[in-house]
Amino acid sequence: MTVSTIPLDRTAPVGFSKGPALALIVLLLAAGLPLVTQDSFFIHSAIMVLFFAYMATAWNFLCGYVGQLSLGHAMFSGMGGYVSVLLFTTFGLSPWLGMIVGGLAAAALSVVIGYPTFRLKGPYFTLTTIAFAEIVRIWVENTDTFLGFHIKGAEGLVVPMVGESFAAFQFGGKIPYYYIILGMLALAILATLIMERSKLGYCLKAIRGDRDAAEALGISPTRYTLTAFAISAFMTALGGSFYAQFFRYINPERNMGTELSIDMALMSIIGGQGTAFGPLIGALILTPLAEVTRGYLGGTFLGLHLVIYGIVLMLAVLYFPKGVLEPLKNLAVGLFRRRNPA
Amino acid sequence: MSGSLLEVNGISKRFGGLQAVKKLSFNVNEGEILGLLGPNGAGKTTAFNMIAGFHKPDEGTIKLGGHNIAGSKPWEVCRAGIGRTFQLSKPFGDLTVVENLMVGGFSRSSDRKRIRAAAEEIAAFLGLERKGDTEAHNLTAFDRRKLELGRALSTQPRLLLMDEVVAGATPNEASEMVELVKKVRARGVSVLIVEHVMKVIMALSDRVIVLDYGSLIADGKPKDVVTSPEVLKAYFGERYVQART
Repeated sequence: MTVSTIPLDRTAPVGFSKGPALALIVLLLAAGLPLVTQDSFFIHSAIMVLFFAYMATAWNFLCGYVGQLSLGHAMFSGMGGYVSVLLFTTFGLSPWLGMIVGGLAAAALSVVIGYPTFRLKGPYFTLTTIAFAEIVRIWVENTDTFLGFHIKGAEGLVVPMVGESFAAFQFGGKIPYYYIILGMLALAILATLIMERSKLGYCLKAIRGDRDAAEALGISPTRYTLTAFAISAFMTALGGSFYAQFFRYINPERNMGTELSIDMALMSIIGGQGTAFGPLIGALILTPLAEVTRGYLGGTFLGLHLVIYGIVLMLAVLYFPKGVLEPLKNLAVGLFRRRNPA
Repeated sequence: MSGSLLEVNGISKRFGGLQAVKKLSFNVNEGEILGLLGPNGAGKTTAFNMIAGFHKPDEGTIKLGGHNIAGSKPWEVCRAGIGRTFQLSKPFGDLTVVENLMVGGFSRSSDRKRIRAAAEEIAAFLGLERKGDTEAHNLTAFDRRKLELGRALSTQPRLLLMDEVVAGATPNEASEMVELVKKVRARGVSVLIVEHVMKVIMALSDRVIVLDYGSLIADGKPKDVVTSPEVLKAYFGERYVQART
């Protein structure tokens, strides 16, 4: 293991410079996908993959880089979704603006929650995030009206149809949604790449490496983790808004349930947390797997799809503890070297 | 006293029933390498941690260049101009050597290019220039120690606090470290060093202070201090000193 990493390290700059070009090609291919097929089920599945990739990327922006496991990010998704939907149904505010307001609200919530909890390490932090998210979810499920807004508890909210309108975030067919979420994902990955190379990125990675050492090097952990937490919560809330607008429906279970929190974390971890493209890879593997196992096995053997899903997760964690992105990258670099011997 | 960089004045620290440091005063002069000695449990590390901002002193002041930094947070102490190393080196394992060194640079500037150049210069200074792209967890224990020192340097400190830099090192490595610390001083950085290995202290220090039970018991040239009866008593007990005289 150690022996093989030495030659690979030397070629790292090669793979590195190819990275952006490769990413651009993938982006163009993804943009061209609706030209190849307009099959509604296929486009819908692609939107779900991109959505989960986006959410996992938002999660990874904080948790992957600072090395803390949050299992409560769905509360930000719910916040974004509810704020944008309520502003639309109550005041007729465009969901485009509503999602920004929801994002800012989620960022504010993240600071309130983050300030006391970031002193906690490991499982204590994780448990606190679960607790906060569950409190918020249960509160929403049992609240009918809050400050004059009709939240409608567990029943959820339906976004009224107003006809095709860009401002209202309502389109005929699924392809516009596909491009919106693709754009959001591209921006989120770009934000991650920029952060990685910035002072914030170095500070987060240092805190992940060793908190005491980071402090001794002039880094205030609270300041930088809260900044990243706020950005991550903001991005998650935008995703939650998209989800609500896409289905024109929002309820606490789907939009802010534990399952969503866990999916965001798992996809990042399986793909490779703390890397810009890991969450995308994770979503590409896990989302179809979940769909297929649920579709083919969910009806006949109730729950079997979860067993298979679980087995795949265990194998991935056992054999690729740092995520599948790194072995994939090493494989690509190896092939490149074989074809172009130095 | 005009050349004093660090002035520690009457600092104390109590942990429950244990008075770890008691009204300790000393100073580090500009450009000096000062050794801090003392038997196990004498309060060296506590004193060290109070200066570095990891413990808040119960009383007293710590002045760096005239500014009181007592009770400041570790990152504020760093920005004030004090770098530190840890007894157990704490590299950021999944970052490369150069990236490790860049982290410190961000405390002074946000210019990534300049920081990278400075980090590469420090890597060369440490003799790690060929390992710049190696991830820190692949380094040998001694290289990690050097990296630890370099990382503290990358914050451009005026004073460097070093905690047991040669613990576990071979004699060759220890003398390499001694040379490195001398070169650090030549860069204009004053050094306060806590060390158990006498050879290292004798080779490096311009002046030595000795702690016992949280108080200062000696202050002077290394040669004089290690033969003073007070110090021998602290290390070896009353009987040893009586037998010698």
